[in-house]
This record gives sequence, structure tokens and C-alpha cells, in this order.
Amino acid sequence: MMKRGVKTLDSIPIDLFLEIFSRLPSKSIARFRCVSKLWGSMLHLPYFTEMFLTRSWARPRLLIILQGCSEYSVFSSPQLQNPYGKSSSSLVVVSADFHVKFSRDMWSTEFCGITSGLIYFSSMRISEKNGGDAVRHVIFNPRTKQNATLPKLTKDGVKRISVLGFDPIDKQFKRMCINGVLYYISKIFCRPHNEKFYVIVCFDVRSESFKFIEVEECIYYATLINYKGKLGGIRTEYDGDSNTLELCLWVLEDVEKHQWSKYVYILKDDEFVEVCFLNVAGVTTAGEIVLSMRCTSTTFYVFYFNPEKTLSNMLKSE
Amino acid sequence: MSKSEKKIVLKSLDNEAFEVEKAVALQSQTIWVMCEDKCVGNEIPLENVTGQILAKVIDYCKKHAVVDGDGDESSEELKNWDTEFTKNMDQSTLFNMILAANYLNIKSLLNLTCQAVADKTKTIDEFHTFLNIENNFTPEEEAQICQENLWAFDD
Repeated sequence: MMKRGVKTLDSIPIDLFLEIFSRLPSKSIARFRCVSKLWGSMLHLPYFTEMFLTRSWARPRLLIILQGCSEYSVFSSPQLQNPYGKSSSSLVVVSADFHVKFSRDMWSTEFCGITSGLIYFSSMRISEKNGGDAVRHVIFNPRTKQNATLPKLTKDGVKRISVLGFDPIDKQFKRMCINGVLYYISKIFCRPHNEKFYVIVCFDVRSESFKFIEVEECIYYATLINYKGKLGGIRTEYDGDSNTLELCLWVLEDVEKHQWSKYVYILKDDEFVEVCFLNVAGVTTAGEIVLSMRCTSTTFYVFYFNPEKTLSNMLKSE
Repeated sequence: MSKSEKKIVLKSLDNEAFEVEKAVALQSQTIWVMCEDKCVGNEIPLENVTGQILAKVIDYCKKHAVVDGDGDESSEELKNWDTEFTKNMDQSTLFNMILAANYLNIKSLLNLTCQAVADKTKTIDEFHTFLNIENNFTPEEEAQICQENLWAFDD
């Protein structure tokens, strides 16, 4: 039996092995790098990394960061491919993988961006060799618990906000140090009459160039999202009288012509969820809007809303 | 198209002949190209695949030729069928299926069989037994490389 297996193995080209391993979880890859010299170098080939990333981007996960009294906990769970049951609303229980816990003292402000599973902290307190503390910009990978400290920025007295951007062509992470984010909404006052304009500023991480899109005031108060590859804005408003949550979604259909489409959805309480406690957490690659509870004790609920099918679904993690 | 043209004969390495519907066989890009080129008659010799493996590949293609293009429920059923299909295959059969799927260029079958092997090879022990690999690191090297990948061993 063993012999037959070995014979088959010899006839398998290396490409097919890499084809197989690109389907493994990252943890297994890291383990197998320690197996032998040959496999160690094989699993470090840029070609393999590329293949692995292509596959893992095809099965995106939800990154969940829970804020406790004194610490943050980081979890992730698979994004459900087709989370809808027969009824319009259904409950699915999933297990979330726990990654890491970190103390709130370590970060003096909130995180400034999450991209491709990496968390960017604009001011993380780390201990220096001389025994003192220093506040630095750090990129943290919750999966491997590894972090990279970025070089210090020169101070020029201007208030700066920095975010993390990803250049998909050169596969480089770049930090932007501007008064805003990758896509961000800004208000512009024009002299002499102080006319107000609302614009979305687009910063192209690759070419490092800016573009501006003028928008209506209502979009100014929305959260910007990536809606199936298009820029979108989302805004929720709770109506206490009718106990409903109004969900407004704007999608930029044509970047050149600045053409937006607007959709409005009304969410009501159902057996699992009280809409007054919901917050927009983000959007999945399939275009489902993910809403989550503002507060949680033991069970964490994530609520998927599919604007196209007007279906919703609960995802429960414990 | 006459009835005989709809059928095609696939001949395995060990000379086993399988008569199948053209629509079933054409899921293989390799066979599709051969038929397009008209370089073969109604009988296609497949020199890299044994009869035992070819029979399984044909089972897969038959199932997928019938159900493709139907509604959501059948795609769910197809998924379950795929799981059952690879569930009880031993290592040698799985690898031979991968080789066959690669040779015949059937993307979905290659995907399915590679995933099946990956699912059975998650721990170091499984990796060693499955691939029969010897560890040739010196103890120092091993300690260092394990240190670099420490996060992968914490459970």
C-alpha cells in the first residue's frame, strides 16, 4: 500500500502539489514550511504565495474585533457563501476562530484601518530597548500575531490622520499620511461667499494621485463602502415611532459621469434582532450588507442583508 | 447529427474502452481539443489514464453533464454528491484522479480532488504519512524555522 503510494507520488509534478497546498489554511502552510528543506523553499516560492493569496481572497472572512472593558479580542469567521434559508430570515450558527487578545492600554486611540486582514494602529505603545515607551505606527497581523513597525514620521504641526492602503498590482502596502483616508468625504468652503461643497476625495494608492467627486450633502453623513467593486455610501437612521431602521445605499455607477443610484430599505424587528441595536459593519464581496450588534455579552450576532434579494440572515457566533 | 456521432469511445492505458455521450466527454478540455482538431476518429486513446480511474472520471462527468444548468437545489445536491464521491477514496486513488483531471484538463474535477487531498493533509503528521517526506533539517535549523513559524503551532 505504502509502496504504491510512493510510486504515484513520484509521478506527480511539483505544480500539482502546489495546486493542492494552495488550498490549505495558512496555519498548515506555516507548519509544512518546517517539514523539510525542499518543502520549506517550495512553500516560500513567490509563485506559490501568489496562488495561495488568489485562493484565499476567493474565500473572504469576516474580521471581528470585540471591545471589552480592558481588552480587545480579535476573531474571524467565514463569510457565508449562500447564507439564506428558505424563509426570508434565518439563523445560522457558526464558530468564529479566536486569534488574539490585546490590552486597551497598548493603544491610545482606535485602529486606523483594516485591509486584507491586517490591522493598522496609528499609535501603538511599544517598549523600547532602553526601557522606555514609544508611540509608533504599527501594522499587525492578528493571524500570525506578528507586527511590523513603520518608520517615524516627521512632525510639522499639521494634524494628520494616516490610514493603510493596498496596491493590488505591485502587492505593496502603502501608508498614506494625509488629512483623511483612501476614499474619504470632505467639506470644502469656497471664498469669497463661503459656499459649501461636499466631495469624495479618492486617493489612488498606486499612482499616488488625487481625484475629487462632488456629492450631495446626504452622502456626506454616510459611511463609505466597497459595494461589489463600486464605491458606495451607506447610512442608517432609526425611526423610534415605527421601530424601523431605514437603510440608505448609494452606489457610484459611473465614476466619470458621477452617476449615483440610490436604494432605500426598511428593516423591521424579527424574532432574532431588534433593529435599534444595529450598526453597519461593512459589506461582503457578494454585496451583502453586514450589520452587527452595538453591544454584546456572550453571543455575538452578525446580520446579513442582501439588498438584491431583500433577504436577511443572522449569523451567530459564540 | 446522427446517433453514432453523439457517442464517443474513450480508451484507457490498459485498453479498456468506454462508450460515452459526447456531451459527457467534452467536459475534458483535452478531449474537446482533440475532437475540434478532428485528429482522431470516434475512438480516443488516453495514454495516461487507467481503466479504473477513467471509470471514476466518467462517473463524475456524467453527473455533472446532467445537472449543470439547473436551479439552485440541484447545485446543492451536486455538492453533496461531490463530497461523497471523494470521501472514501484512498490516497493513491486521489492522486491518480488529480493526475487524470490535470491531463484531461477538467478544471472542476481538479479543484475537487486537490481540495480533497488538502482537507486530509492539515497536520504535520498527516503531511509526513501522506507524502512520505523525511525531515532533513539539522536540529538547529529546525529550532530556528519553528521559531519563525511559532504562531502555527500554538494549539
